[in-house]
Amino acid sequence: MNANFAERLAELPHFLSAHVVLSVTAILTGIALSVPLGIHAAQRPKLAAVTLNVASVIQTIPGLALLALMVPLLGGTIGYLPAFVALMLYSVLPILRNTIVGLQGIEPQIREAARGIGLTDRDRLWQIELPLALPVIVAGLRTATVWVVGSATLATPVGATSLGNYIFAGLQTRNWLSVLFGCVFAAGLAIVLDQAIRLLEIAARDRRRGMAMGVGVFLAALVAVSVAPRFVSFDGSDPAQGPLGEAAAARSIAGERVVVGAKAYTEQYILGALMERRLAAAGARVDRRDNLGSTIAFDALRTGEIDAYVDFTGTIWATVMNRPEPIDRYVMFTEMSAWLWQEHGIVTLGRLGYENAYGFAMRRDAAEALEVDSLDDLAPLAGDLVIGGDPEVFARAEWTATRDAYGLGPMETRTMDNTFLYSAVRDGQVDVITAYTTDGRIAAFDLAVLDDPLAVLPPYDAVILLSPEAAQRPGLAEALAPLIGAIDAQTMREANRRVDLGDQTPAQAAAWLDARISSRTGPEEP
Amino acid sequence: MSEPGGPVLDIRAVSKTYPGGVEAVRNVSLQVERGELLALAGESGCGKTTVLKMINRLEDASGGSIVYEGRDVAGLDPVKLRREIGWVMQGDGLFPHLTVRENVAIIPRLLGWEAADIRDRTDEMLDLVQLPPSDYAGRHPGELSGGQRQRVGFARALAGKPDLILMDEPFSALDPITRDTLQQEFRALQAELGFSAVMVTHDMAEALIMADQIAVMLDGEIIQQGTPSELLEHPATDYVSGLLETPRRQMRAIRELGA
Repeated sequence: MNANFAERLAELPHFLSAHVVLSVTAILTGIALSVPLGIHAAQRPKLAAVTLNVASVIQTIPGLALLALMVPLLGGTIGYLPAFVALMLYSVLPILRNTIVGLQGIEPQIREAARGIGLTDRDRLWQIELPLALPVIVAGLRTATVWVVGSATLATPVGATSLGNYIFAGLQTRNWLSVLFGCVFAAGLAIVLDQAIRLLEIAARDRRRGMAMGVGVFLAALVAVSVAPRFVSFDGSDPAQGPLGEAAAARSIAGERVVVGAKAYTEQYILGALMERRLAAAGARVDRRDNLGSTIAFDALRTGEIDAYVDFTGTIWATVMNRPEPIDRYVMFTEMSAWLWQEHGIVTLGRLGYENAYGFAMRRDAAEALEVDSLDDLAPLAGDLVIGGDPEVFARAEWTATRDAYGLGPMETRTMDNTFLYSAVRDGQVDVITAYTTDGRIAAFDLAVLDDPLAVLPPYDAVILLSPEAAQRPGLAEALAPLIGAIDAQTMREANRRVDLGDQTPAQAAAWLDARISSRTGPEEP
Repeated sequence: MSEPGGPVLDIRAVSKTYPGGVEAVRNVSLQVERGELLALAGESGCGKTTVLKMINRLEDASGGSIVYEGRDVAGLDPVKLRREIGWVMQGDGLFPHLTVRENVAIIPRLLGWEAADIRDRTDEMLDLVQLPPSDYAGRHPGELSGGQRQRVGFARALAGKPDLILMDEPFSALDPITRDTLQQEFRALQAELGFSAVMVTHDMAEALIMADQIAVMLDGEIIQQGTPSELLEHPATDYVSGLLETPRRQMRAIRELGA
């Protein structure tokens, strides 16, 4: 627990500063856009109606969806930019609406008096209307600030670092301290910014220059401290270096920046940390992009936003190449590698050695009671069973193929986060789950993985993929090559178990995995 | 340009037709002599406020011309014109977020006066309307009574040293005692400073007490113009007699009481 706390605390400067930069730039741009638009629209009822409707529609898009949509809309870019654009759009509505409402709420008599005594339109706006509407505009600004700071935690899956990294990683690894860190600091930041704006408003209203200066200096300092790490060479590598002798082996990527991606679950965090260790040992400066959505990770690799990550043959086959039919393991690997190289210049460095397939799992005692051994046996019972799956599985070709092949259509499907799937089936809340075959909880919860006699489910060999740009750097491939063929399913399952059921962090599990690989005489041949 | 001795304001056959064909004002001609107060009297909707707003171009006339200090207002910049002419409206029209001093100072500030001059002028104006600056300059309009707010309104209108003041029902929101006091104070101010004024009112008694000239309007036209005594002695129509009936009856009643 103490190691956990120390590790979370060590992440804080990075996550918090990224969160501050992301939300503050989004809000400031939102103000720069909404206030002039609101002023313009306040005198034009038709325009006001149109802009408010557009902003309201944007607002009804769930935050996570808006963030995810920005990635394809910006041509596959991940990281700060799509998050910034989405959050900025999110901040528009409250500020725009309150600017319009605030200006329209000014008594006509006051406006007429201003005209009558000889104020120009410009003077009237700046000296009379805006000051009078200020409390309403500021109320909108405060709403926007709280929204944006909160929604910025959802920026993690599109590759932007934020306090959401605590929450997503914590959820996947059942590390509730990490989730709590994310919540507490995000809420704290929202409160601090909200109060700062409130004090600025009071200072403006009462013309308290000292107070305004004080708050201004505080906000400027907050942003300056947050931005500073971006201009200083920031070594994001794991402070605990492994007891390795390889440091001397790597040469060509020393001092270079390498970005390692990972999807949003335990095994990916461990493998990301493992690759980070190897690359750091070779002298690279490693940046991590954890918690990427499944297709976002691939897009990011394709566009070179990340240099390397681990994916699965079956996933690329079904969701990237759109090939629904199952095929022999080795043929699939070969065809996929060739296709990735030809289509995108992506290099498949090799298979790690284990397979993490989708499987269908039940409680062993329940399976025995129902006399179910294989997916074949489920068909007659399908109408009475509930199946739980992770957020993407029911949208994948493998599920449709399995469902149709075994007649599982009548089953009620229920989607939940991967974290909760295994305990849900253990506790009888669902009857069957889609499981990852390397998950440590299959053994720990005494679950039975059902056979697939028709071989509908494609193979899922874990592979390291390198971006087209990374493929041009031999030192990078050299640093990761020792991992090829070095991890069998049992080893991976043990590493996962250490995080999911033990109290280790992914970095600790990666250190264990690293040591285990190094202790062997050489990589095992698959 | 300005003709000394000529009228401050010369309204020549002015009319106003709104889009859609509504004729708010028809063929109105009026003159305001220097230092005089002209009352535009009549019921709501008779066009009197429209005439007032055409003078400082809050509305533009559809026909005829308005000559202020020898210049046709149609050829002047509306903002500059309005800064030269004081404007007082019903229910004060003060800016609630500004202090009394800032409200009064707004026109001199826009005219680009020196800070010290602005300060002296606002002090002078507040003293003139009997709101000692030491007590009142720093207050906000919300902290004043209705009569005090209207006084600030006068101070603001006078701060830019205008030759002409336009007033739209300036006393109608006040209680009778405050109204009477302010009416008398206003005439005293006018006598002291020598500016001219046009006042819109629906209260015939107010027009009789305050004005040098009264123009009675009905349906966009002037039906009679003259001094208060001319109107009382020779009302031109039954409508004018009717308007005068209420103040007459009140005067008779009061005289009988005093006898």
